[in-house]
Amino acid sequence: MLEESRMKKFFFLSVLVATANLWAAAALSNDWTSLKEASRNIRTVKGEFLQKRYLQILTKPIHSEGRLFFYTPDFLRWEYLSPLRSVILQKGSIIQVYNFSEGVWKPEMAQAVEARRMVFAEISQWFQGRFDESKPFKHVFSPGPPARVTMVPGEGINRFIHRIEIVLSVRPGVIDRVEIEESGNSRTLIEFRNVEINSSFSSEVFEKP
Amino acid sequence: MIRRKGLHLYLLGLLILSIGCVPKPKITLSPGLPEDLPGCYAIFPTGPWESVHRIEATLRGGASSSLLGVTKSEPSERRLQSILLTPEGFILFDAERRESEISVRKAVAPFDSPAFARGLMEDVSLLFLPPQVKPRTWRKETDGTMICNWEDPDDTQIEIRGSTGSSWRILRRNKQGEVIKEVVLNGPFVNGLASRVELRAFKPASYKLRMTLVQPSP
Repeated sequence: MLEESRMKKFFFLSVLVATANLWAAAALSNDWTSLKEASRNIRTVKGEFLQKRYLQILTKPIHSEGRLFFYTPDFLRWEYLSPLRSVILQKGSIIQVYNFSEGVWKPEMAQAVEARRMVFAEISQWFQGRFDESKPFKHVFSPGPPARVTMVPGEGINRFIHRIEIVLSVRPGVIDRVEIEESGNSRTLIEFRNVEINSSFSSEVFEKP
Repeated sequence: MIRRKGLHLYLLGLLILSIGCVPKPKITLSPGLPEDLPGCYAIFPTGPWESVHRIEATLRGGASSSLLGVTKSEPSERRLQSILLTPEGFILFDAERRESEISVRKAVAPFDSPAFARGLMEDVSLLFLPPQVKPRTWRKETDGTMICNWEDPDDTQIEIRGSTGSSWRILRRNKQGEVIKEVVLNGPFVNGLASRVELRAFKPASYKLRMTLVQPSP
């Protein structure tokens, strides 16, 4: 009986402590300055993602899965594992795209690579919390919860993208999901999972597909 | 000049392998038995459908690109909508074909030429819509293989041969009888759509498309 009472107390305290931790973390990420501060400590990001592409003509969204590696300030590996195997390697201003086809990695055509340059420059900035440095987008921060940054496109881009919502995790510096609203009632949802901040990995991930 | 530029962009936009124009003997048939005629349409889905394909395109010289292709069709209205996306989901091309009219909703360079739109929608139609007219000739072999020939109003000819349980082949010939496009469809068929498709174009542009069905929906 005494043991049961102790267990209940322990459980109650655990929940309380966990909740307090969550609130503390949320309060931290709810504050723009704290968010910037937390992002400054980010050296690497590693994680997986699930992408759902909604199109007006499709009953069901297209599901894609992949993984990412980021090393500050501008090394990025953005890799799709299904349904297409494709990888984007960014090292500074150099971007390479490879597609896995007929058993080998093949480089993507130059024009198609250029089209991705702006997009992946944006993503690199998001992983560092540098939302306010975007040139094509203006940002609006909402403390939430959940805290989110809305990226509003400027003239020209707004013909294709209406807005981008970046929903932040209670873990400082971690992005939970990104929602991209486009013209023609289509949108993309990218959910991140198993995100590791400042873990170690080989620099080779940015070198070759 | 504009036409040449368009053709060039079409080459860049799609992706290809130079294989050369393979001569294939033309088969002379007489009109077949009426009960065999439905076999000529076996590879074309009938009701409304939509699909997602993984597309690997190869151009002359080996340049290649991988894309996602989304297609929706209402066969009874001869309507097709086709969208090309990068693996990241960016829409590069979005167009619809009703009968012979093509309307482009969105096209990003190098997919923004009229020649590209025409070529792509022609390929999609060849794959998924039967010719509008009745076959001129058809025959069912003793092993169940169907061989059907159409003459399109534009003077091209289409030949389809194959049987349930094996691969099917579509040949498109020009006025001179040369094969300008060849399609191989491999099963299993899911909701009326082949799991794997390979299209080789020989003339006027040379390219190869390998398509794998990743998401069929009725």
